[in-house]
Amino acid sequence: MSIYLALTVASLKMYFRNKQALFWALFFPLLIMIIFGIMNFDKFNSPNVGVYDAANNQASAALIQALKGNGEQKLLSVSVDELEAVHYELEFGSSRAVIEIPANYGIPGEFAEIKVTYDERFQQERAVVSTILGQVTDAVFKEAAQVPTEYRVENAIGISESVIEGQGQGFKAWLIPGIAAMAIMQTGLFTVVFTLVRFKSQGVLRRLKATPIGASHFLAGQLTTKAIIVVLQTYVLVIVGAIVLGVSVGNGRLGAWFDLTILALLGGALFIALGLAVSGWAKNEETAAPIANIITMPMMFLSGVFFPLSVMPDWLTRWSQFLPLTYLADGMRAITVEGASIATLGTELLGLGIWIVIAFVIATKMFRWE
Amino acid sequence: MTTVIDPVIVAKDLHKKYDEITAVNGISFEVRAGEVFGMLGPNGAGKTTTVEILEGMRDADSGEAIINGINVKDDPRAIKAMIGVQLQQNAFFDNLKLSEIVDLYAKLYLAKVDPVEILSRVGLDKRKNSKYAELSGGQKQRLSIAVALVNDPVVLFLDEPTTGLDPQARRQVWALIRKIQANGSTIMLTTHYMEEAEELCDRIAVVENGEIIVLDTPDALIDQLLETGFKPEKRIRGATLDDVFLNLTGHDLRDS
Repeated sequence: MSIYLALTVASLKMYFRNKQALFWALFFPLLIMIIFGIMNFDKFNSPNVGVYDAANNQASAALIQALKGNGEQKLLSVSVDELEAVHYELEFGSSRAVIEIPANYGIPGEFAEIKVTYDERFQQERAVVSTILGQVTDAVFKEAAQVPTEYRVENAIGISESVIEGQGQGFKAWLIPGIAAMAIMQTGLFTVVFTLVRFKSQGVLRRLKATPIGASHFLAGQLTTKAIIVVLQTYVLVIVGAIVLGVSVGNGRLGAWFDLTILALLGGALFIALGLAVSGWAKNEETAAPIANIITMPMMFLSGVFFPLSVMPDWLTRWSQFLPLTYLADGMRAITVEGASIATLGTELLGLGIWIVIAFVIATKMFRWE
Repeated sequence: MTTVIDPVIVAKDLHKKYDEITAVNGISFEVRAGEVFGMLGPNGAGKTTTVEILEGMRDADSGEAIINGINVKDDPRAIKAMIGVQLQQNAFFDNLKLSEIVDLYAKLYLAKVDPVEILSRVGLDKRKNSKYAELSGGQKQRLSIAVALVNDPVVLFLDEPTTGLDPQARRQVWALIRKIQANGSTIMLTTHYMEEAEELCDRIAVVENGEIIVLDTPDALIDQLLETGFKPEKRIRGATLDDVFLNLTGHDLRDS
């Protein structure tokens, strides 16, 4: 125990004395956060729309398909779900409108009234959704008009609009937890890889091997140190991000910080273990850097850190939803943006758990002292 | 200190192969308590591999290595806990002060020591607040020896302790090794400098291609050579260029 403590204290001292590493660990993610926050990418995305399909028939399926747009041109990012779920998403800012297709939609002779609810704070998105919905229903109507009279479906479509003021805070609030998750990945993987590979190539690890301590002592000390750093970094990024971009964290729920800590530790453990695996395998910094980049770079873009997964093609998100960073970013976002409690994040916790086991198995197989 | 069993080191017919290369090919010797035992030979002769087998860092393919009565293979951790090692290429955490490095290593051996006292034994007490990266080559080597002393070892292994050092730094390390021996420690060192072996070692083993080709005291080896009628090529002048250099640049510690 005292050996473990001595190693942990020593490596903490070493980390905090390395002012440059400290600067980049915080400066880089903050910079990205602020730049993206200012650019406000909300404008460039096709708005997320939640659809509740009470009719669930051929006509309503055609309407939903029309809202999504054809293969060439994507109109709206549509997700179909239960009424409660789509309203929750609107309320907490992950979608911009709810479209309710009534049960009598597409039934001949009936007047189907489509209800649309908008978040009034997003007028631009409201205009986009309203226009697209108008055009699409118009087109459906015209198509029906061209059908020979004997097959004509007599129905009428009406649209009623209402607004709510959601609690969601838009892209800025959405961005912060993703960047914090990315920073956990970067710090976990890169600080471990670079310190260990340097220690290995310099012969520091060889000298440690000549002492009676086991590998486990040394690795435990390293893990603890990096875990502490990862948690502190998450606090700093979320707090500074929230202040600079003017958003609230976890809807003001104090427990959100506890939940964030748990997620940061899980994510930290996962990426630190991956870092151990890479540094076990790599002989020097030259080989370690590309491997670490190959692991982190795709995840940066495929895990919904900068842009929502909904803007990506379905064949890609089918795979990228299983990436470790996706689980971490989604979990942290649910806590900070939607005010969810960690107890409700079953999928994310299970995903992270499985990845942690995988990473540790690889790490113990790969780690070498020289 | 643990009771010292004489001989402190027993190596019996050690063999070690790396893929195709035979690094150690049947090496046997004993090191007595309190002596400085030198292993000489060119680079790649098998010195370091032999030493690393004794230190519990590498497993021998066959043969026995016994330190202070314990077979290294049976309990490498116990061996590591009671020996002191200075490896050929070792380094320490570069963002720690010297006193912190000594303190950390003492804790790894569960030894209670005063880091400054240990540093003063190698003449680095004044630099206790310096970082490892700021030290000169000779100072790094002396720190490395200081770290090897934290557990009051029954035997000290020094693998090429002066390779790459300038003449002054080398002489400082020699003086340090003699001081450690005078305190009753047993030392096993490897070197490829003959004058170093002559200066420090009570007995030397010359290794070539993984085998010991001769083992005796330096004086006996020189006498045996002279008996064959050997004459050195150059006339002995009573001083060497080494002496000239040291005379010009000074013998004193240069710890700037």
